[in-house]
Amino acid sequence: MNSTNRFLNRAFVFVVGLVLLAAGGILAVGALLPDLQQPISQGASDAEGRVSDTFSANAWILWVTAAAAVVLILLLLWFALRQGRGRTSTLLKLDQKGTGGDLIIDAKVAAQVLEDALARQADIVSVDVVAFRVRRENVLRITAHTRRGASPMRVRSVIDEAVSEWDAVLGQTTPVVIQIVSGIRSAMSSTTRVA
Amino acid sequence: MTSPALYRRIVRRETHSPRSGAAITIAVLLMLVAAWIGTESVLAAIGQAPLLLAPQALVSSALQAAASPVALLVAIGAVVAIVGIILIIVSFAPGRRGRRGSISSRTAAVVDDRVIAQSLAHTASYAADVDPDQVSVSVGARTVRVEITPTSGRSVDQQSIRDAVAQDAASYDYRPALRANVRLSKKGTVA
Repeated sequence: MNSTNRFLNRAFVFVVGLVLLAAGGILAVGALLPDLQQPISQGASDAEGRVSDTFSANAWILWVTAAAAVVLILLLLWFALRQGRGRTSTLLKLDQKGTGGDLIIDAKVAAQVLEDALARQADIVSVDVVAFRVRRENVLRITAHTRRGASPMRVRSVIDEAVSEWDAVLGQTTPVVIQIVSGIRSAMSSTTRVA
Repeated sequence: MTSPALYRRIVRRETHSPRSGAAITIAVLLMLVAAWIGTESVLAAIGQAPLLLAPQALVSSALQAAASPVALLVAIGAVVAIVGIILIIVSFAPGRRGRRGSISSRTAAVVDDRVIAQSLAHTASYAADVDPDQVSVSVGARTVRVEITPTSGRSVDQQSIRDAVAQDAASYDYRPALRANVRLSKKGTVA
């Protein structure tokens, strides 16, 4: 439901994997082939002798490295922090042309009505309702924590009924996604409800 | 108004892993390495003592490593390459989350496999007239295995259990659909 860019995640994992595979593969294969290994280790030991000269002659290398590290950290931070966004508090926004005002319906209204309607159902322990913005549409997500042994088909039809009642209240339909889950709240509850 | 394309997209996204965990873990590791290298560079540039290893020492030890024993290099290379292969597989594998979806004209639904397992266990224990603890259900990608341990000394009608479970599983319109496989354990249990 959230707006996480999944292609970017997979592309990132793929690129890192590819780099590791290439580096590891070249290291392992290169070490096994004497024709390749000899000149490289020779070149490396030659280069090693010039390392301290290079560093003392070019002090900017250190600053460039530090700057590159900062840029990389900022990029990765942006990448990590943009995961899981997409929640919205608004369910519906109606432009009232004639009256000169807008009507905004908060997702909390739907949440309270639906939670109230569904909390009394015997098969459902608790309900969470939140709204997400998906493809320029506000989608309501109803998460139902079921009691152990409850039939998912029955839970679904109960929620569908509550949704159609909500549609009648709202006078419009917005997309609704139902999640039927069994979590810690289900495990703590008994299989049947008494009273 | 509610488009099936939107629901298909949401159901697909809810039943498959976003790979956020792997991506964030790699990002954090890379950030730590970058932070360390950046700190060491600044410390070296202003002439302070390094935290662990000065950049100059880091570069020369990396160059020296090219001359280390072949077996060691091959082992390190192989391990790095295997990690790389695992990441490539992770990036391509579908990453199913143990949920299945169903789309109706009004709503889309995603149901946890655990809910299905608990529901089928309930059905099976009712049909077999045994305690729910004597039924174990495991839900795979397309099949569900129901195993019932009967109570010693009491007969159970395997066919009726099978029918009840199959009927229940067939009533679900969640995709991928499930085929039920009921087994009675040879050993009984003392109730």
